[in-house]
Amino acid sequence: MRKIRQIARKEFRHILRDPRSLIIAILMPVMMTFLYGYAINLDIKNIKLAIKDFDNTSVSRELAGKFYNSGYFIRAEAEPDISDPEEIFRRGEAVAVLVIRNGFGKTIDALKYNPQMALNSDSPFQVGLFLDGADANTAAAAASYSSIIVTEFMKRALPPDFEFPGVRIASQVLYNPDLKSSHFFVPGLIAIILMMISALLTSITIAREKETGTMEQLLTSPVTPRQIIIGKVIPYVFVALLDGVLVLAFGVFHFGVPFSGSVAALFLFGVIYIVAALSIGILISTLVSTQQLAMMGALLATVLPSVMLSGFIFDLKNTPVVLQALSHIVPARYFIAIIRGIMLKGADIGTLWLDAGALLCMSLILLGLAAKRFKMRIG
Amino acid sequence: MRQTIFALVKKEFLQVFRDFTMLRLIILVPIIQLIIFGYTVNIDVKYIYTNFYDFDHSAESREYLKAFSPGDYFIPRNYDIPLLESDRGFKENTYNTVMVIPDDFSEKIINREPVDVGLVVDGSNANSASIAIGYANIITMQYNRMKLNLPEPLSVRQVMLYNPEAESVYFMVPGIVVVLLTMITVMLTSMAIVREREIGTLEQLMVTPMSVPALILGKTIPFALIGFFEMSLALFIGVTWFNIPFAGSWLLLYVLAFFFLLTTLGVGMFISTITSTQQQAMFFAWFFMVFSMLTSGFFTPIANMPESVQYLTYLNPLRYFMVIVRGIMMKGAGIDTLYPQILALFTFGVVVFGFSWMRFSKRVN
Repeated sequence: MRKIRQIARKEFRHILRDPRSLIIAILMPVMMTFLYGYAINLDIKNIKLAIKDFDNTSVSRELAGKFYNSGYFIRAEAEPDISDPEEIFRRGEAVAVLVIRNGFGKTIDALKYNPQMALNSDSPFQVGLFLDGADANTAAAAASYSSIIVTEFMKRALPPDFEFPGVRIASQVLYNPDLKSSHFFVPGLIAIILMMISALLTSITIAREKETGTMEQLLTSPVTPRQIIIGKVIPYVFVALLDGVLVLAFGVFHFGVPFSGSVAALFLFGVIYIVAALSIGILISTLVSTQQLAMMGALLATVLPSVMLSGFIFDLKNTPVVLQALSHIVPARYFIAIIRGIMLKGADIGTLWLDAGALLCMSLILLGLAAKRFKMRIG
Repeated sequence: MRQTIFALVKKEFLQVFRDFTMLRLIILVPIIQLIIFGYTVNIDVKYIYTNFYDFDHSAESREYLKAFSPGDYFIPRNYDIPLLESDRGFKENTYNTVMVIPDDFSEKIINREPVDVGLVVDGSNANSASIAIGYANIITMQYNRMKLNLPEPLSVRQVMLYNPEAESVYFMVPGIVVVLLTMITVMLTSMAIVREREIGTLEQLMVTPMSVPALILGKTIPFALIGFFEMSLALFIGVTWFNIPFAGSWLLLYVLAFFFLLTTLGVGMFISTITSTQQQAMFFAWFFMVFSMLTSGFFTPIANMPESVQYLTYLNPLRYFMVIVRGIMMKGAGIDTLYPQILALFTFGVVVFGFSWMRFSKRVN
């Protein structure tokens, strides 16, 4: 036990002696939270829209105003050339062009005075929209926003006592009624950061001893390999936990992410998750000999899957079956489900047992593998 | 001079590839990244697991539900849970949407009255939730038009250029090319130089009769070549496997990639002058990567970001190259439309590489 403490103290000194690394290790998670919370906003706004208004009536200008005042669209500087709408896209001066044909004002006026007749007309009036599909997400968002704006505009034009028949959707959003991206990102970010710091840093720190030749020195000293490893990972557990708490605090107090579940439960699962991450780090370090390789290996084995195959940003349900199956061996997948459940939905062990059980199994398997591999390599 | 550089490049390649693992990683990283990114980075939501509650049990409600569930979007997950406890499914993640059809649904339809259908959505994934609501509205609009014969008197007709299916892959692969180039060059360059310092072989190199420019070129050329290799591999997979159209000029893309590499190699060199261990170098490179990737418009358009962050993105070389790669590949854009970006990229390349060169020479002497 004392020996482990000695090694841990040595590793702590290593970390503290290098304040630049430490500052980045602490600053980066906070910066990532900030960027994800503010900059990475999946709800798309400020779409550059150019409007070509052939109708040029007060009604068509009102529609244009509705578009620009919706918050989703901003006015493009350039005037679109309707014979070549692509020109403005290639220049990147707009991503959407709205074309209002002649007769728009008349159609809306007809709706105002004789809604029944307008409803039964066979040929509805169409507003044209050209979209720059190079950014598929923005284009899709622009398409759905403009449908909504035009439909709303039409409904406003109807007489107030006229109720549009047919089915309507009355929607209600649970847990995140304002659909804020930060509520969705911050819990996932904690999972990513814990994985990154635990697996990446551990594997690098062990590879470094090998590369600089100090591993042999350590091994000839009267400590067992197991004590070396435990001693080396303890400091990083602290750094990871500190980062986790920092991001959590930043998310809850700055971005107002709710925390509706139990802190103790989150802490417990967090520790299980860290064990899994550290085991991966140790596994990598037994496989590689240089820090460069450790970094590349950790990038492939931990960071990339944790970001892409965990549901952190992209819903796993939309990925092909093979990748979905693969995602079952990514610990972050389970931890992200758990942390979102606890923070946003107030879930407890009764509803999370499946993910919790899977995470626990993964941690134990990885820990066993790491221990076995390490003994084989060193002994 | 040329011979020295060549020898150094050879040494560097030997060093990189001596380790067979490294060679495998250099080939594997782009392939795995492309495949994972290509398939997962999909903001369009295709499967929304839904628990339907039909309290009307009429021919009309069944028809409405049929309109809702045949396609890819709303997948029925009918669990026998009382409506009041339906949030259990949200917590267990068995479904993310609940739809409730009231018991007077058919009655109101027949009387041509408006009828509200309830849709409860799990907002913990903000993006999927808003998309689910959007789809529900569109499907309902179509149902009104087709089945109830209630056409909307006004609608939007949309034409999507370049990418009519709105495939995210088309948009992601050019982005991945940029990210790969940055990652490989910044990280490997900075770590390779610092490694020599860490192990103490940089002094040995310095006492050889080698000039500083030769040292710099010898240390950067191998990684530039690896970068070009990674880029070609990524483009090859994108075009052959994902069938991404390549509308513009290959030559222009590679020439501009060279300017871009000047910047990233310069950044890698700069990092090596301010760090003394590989761990530090990796950390700085990582920091640069995360920041530049997130603010490049790779995942989300820059126009979405708050104004202060938007100004910051002008300092990000990835921002310009991202526009260039996407423009050349998808829109067939040329110099005539891309010149502002090209100019910015060129300036960045010369300034960053020149500055790093100076700093490196000073530091080495």
